[in-house]
Amino acid sequence: MQHSLKQTSLSRVLTYALSYILALLWLFPIVWMTVSAFKPMGSPVSILSVAFAPPFTVENFSIISQKAPVYIWTYNSAYIAIAVTLIVLLITSMAAYSLSKLHFKGKKIMYIVITMGLMIPIEAIIIPLYKTMADLRLLNTYTGLIIPSLTAPLGVLIMKQFFDDLPNELIEAARIDGAGIFRIWYSICMPLSRNSLAAVGIFTFTNSWNNFLWPFLSITSEKMMTLPVGIPQFQGANLSEFTLPMTVSLVASIPAIVVFLIFQKQIIQGVAMTGIKG
Amino acid sequence: MGSLNKQHDLHAAQRKESLAAWLFMLPFLALYAAFLLFPIFRGLYTSFTNARLVGTVRIIGLENYAEMLADKDFWGSMGNTLYFVLISTPTIVVVGFVLAMLINAKLKGTVFLRTAYFSSYVLSMSVVTGLWIFIFQPYTGLINTIITKFGGQEIFWLSTRGIVWLAILMTTVWWTVGFDMVLFLAALQNIPTEMYEAAEIDGASKAQVLFKITIPMLRESTVLVVMLQMIASFKLFGQTYLMAGGGPGTHTRTIVHYIYESGFTNRRLGYASTMSIAFFLVVLGFSLLQRKLFANKEGR
Repeated sequence: MQHSLKQTSLSRVLTYALSYILALLWLFPIVWMTVSAFKPMGSPVSILSVAFAPPFTVENFSIISQKAPVYIWTYNSAYIAIAVTLIVLLITSMAAYSLSKLHFKGKKIMYIVITMGLMIPIEAIIIPLYKTMADLRLLNTYTGLIIPSLTAPLGVLIMKQFFDDLPNELIEAARIDGAGIFRIWYSICMPLSRNSLAAVGIFTFTNSWNNFLWPFLSITSEKMMTLPVGIPQFQGANLSEFTLPMTVSLVASIPAIVVFLIFQKQIIQGVAMTGIKG
Repeated sequence: MGSLNKQHDLHAAQRKESLAAWLFMLPFLALYAAFLLFPIFRGLYTSFTNARLVGTVRIIGLENYAEMLADKDFWGSMGNTLYFVLISTPTIVVVGFVLAMLINAKLKGTVFLRTAYFSSYVLSMSVVTGLWIFIFQPYTGLINTIITKFGGQEIFWLSTRGIVWLAILMTTVWWTVGFDMVLFLAALQNIPTEMYEAAEIDGASKAQVLFKITIPMLRESTVLVVMLQMIASFKLFGQTYLMAGGGPGTHTRTIVHYIYESGFTNRRLGYASTMSIAFFLVVLGFSLLQRKLFANKEGR
């Protein structure tokens, strides 16, 4: 008895040690990036005793904007992410409502067609998508950056699943009271699905904020770049110096990290959901 | 007469609902059809042509396909991609499982641990690669500074064959393992606690519990995680492109990278489309296999 108790506590101690060492290891690059952004330009931050000791400064945040239009990139990223999120919430909830609560011919086929989209990775369509956008003269425009983020079927499927769980009696009752199809959508279904809308919205926002491949392919004008496209270019021009690229990276990461810390539960649920639906 | 009228009203109502349903579908459906479905068919068409970024287009039948099958660079980049799928899938799945187990071990500070393991997942591709370039960079990078401080030799992480894959793997594990971890965690939390209580009463050892309860109960989720991870790894592009430029030489050039190079650098849209179709078919194969494995499970 005594022996097994000792053994349990030993394995407990080892589990604690392993999990906390791994946690520090995992956080370390982010902490290093954050600290480096506040070091005077040119500091050799790879020497950790330098990186984690004073002096600290906020000068880098203004120096980066003299070297490249970093805050224009930030504005572009924010504008696009907000526009994408609002449009996605609107069109996916409309489509999901239709698929879930309305009756029409071809509904089953539509559902299958939309589910099929899950199997089309953007990587497989970059060439024709580029050609299509070029034909429509949408390269290097906000519209051209926004559109490819609006076609993901996952949001529709998540919203549909939620609408499926809303009791039909609720909708019947509203109909008897004289509410029309549109009214039922916006004054009954939408308010009740606040949580799902939040999950889809948060997910869409961070995905758009971090989106790399399409903006990287389609933007050539420096003024139209988003942060994920601007960062490699900025860093490529400043490889011998760590603090400024780290500052740009930090600026680019703050919104995603803040959103993550506030909505951690929804984000993690969302990830679990994408995997299950995937 | 009255019932006929009623029936008429009913039909009118059905038509109205049907019209409304399509109107509600329309905004998403139009974008989806024009910018996701249509490109697949357009890509298929382009793959049979000699299209370049500019200039006239001629249909050349299967020439691109014949060229692809004989193209050493195509097979080379396919090989690199499959190599990464093979080394990354087991690593990320196992690390994800271990992290999920640690979070599920009911230690103090579970929320902190979960936040720590998952937070890198919300960073952008560019931030992640930028950060790890500074970690691996020769002479001034973090790891080499530490190594040389203790008298070790410089390691050229991103320009040495073999080692560069280790660097890409470490970066990718750090960045994306949170995804697999969350899926395992959801599955672990679905295992009924009674099973563990029963095992405890029977005096089962920790190893027995792990191998006789936990791992068998996670079989279904593991298949899912493995399939999703294989698809994700197959799409590798940003890490190798931004950190190593596909190099040294073409050592880390992946299939997506080669498609990009053929289409955008060499402007051969026809040929790039052909390889996109091949790429799509492989991903589709993985997805269908995954669906089949799960459909079987549900059918039982």
